[in-house]
Amino acid sequence: MREVRAALAAVSAFAVAYLLPGTLQLPVLIYDPAARVFSFGRVTNPVQMRYYGDLIVACIAALAAAAVVWKLQPRRTPLSIATATALSLVGLDVLFYLSRLLAAM
Amino acid sequence: MIKVLLISHAVLGFTAVFAATHHAAHAVLAALARTQTRALRRFGWIAPASILAQAVTGLAIYPAYRVNVRAADLERSAPIVVQLFDLKEHLAALALVLVIGAALAGRQSEERTQWPVAALSCTGAAFLWTAAVIGLYVTARHSV
Repeated sequence: MREVRAALAAVSAFAVAYLLPGTLQLPVLIYDPAARVFSFGRVTNPVQMRYYGDLIVACIAALAAAAVVWKLQPRRTPLSIATATALSLVGLDVLFYLSRLLAAM
Repeated sequence: MIKVLLISHAVLGFTAVFAATHHAAHAVLAALARTQTRALRRFGWIAPASILAQAVTGLAIYPAYRVNVRAADLERSAPIVVQLFDLKEHLAALALVLVIGAALAGRQSEERTQWPVAALSCTGAAFLWTAAVIGLYVTARHSV
């Protein structure tokens, strides 16, 4: 039970922390593959990539959420609700990225 | 070197797809009250290990894609393929946490936790399949 709750918290936190920094253009680790330079900030040209930074933020959020839930062991939320919440947040991410694809068509 | 990484990424990617699919199938069978403890333990380390390995190779070739494929060709010739590849990257990132989460949670066999594990595992496997197909399509158009 403890493992599943921690996994669901990790998935939920990852989904939120992966979507928000990119959507709000928050500063993260940026890599410029043309100049081969890492920096911290926002993307200023289309070659620069923030994928590494977004992934690091999401992984840190997922690990932190899993650790908190593992430690505190909250039991009030039914497992079905927690699962539905985690998958809804993942679904929200997919819908957002799918909308960007459809907008480009 | 980039070609070697690309082929490794493809091989590891399909290993991850099939391992995650096996894990998802066994998780569903476990949720249907069929004993799958050994299979879930076995694929509970193969799936995360393979998805982590394919993610590392994918992250290693991503800068070459951005410069040699995306900026040099696709942004002018096929902007929709650029968006399609971005969707693939996001699906792969989400699959990473779903598959690892399902694999770790699936290692213990409490009955009422089986459906949540199956849901995470099936979603992760579906995302991996989609990412693999998109990856093959983009590579067929223009590889690194």
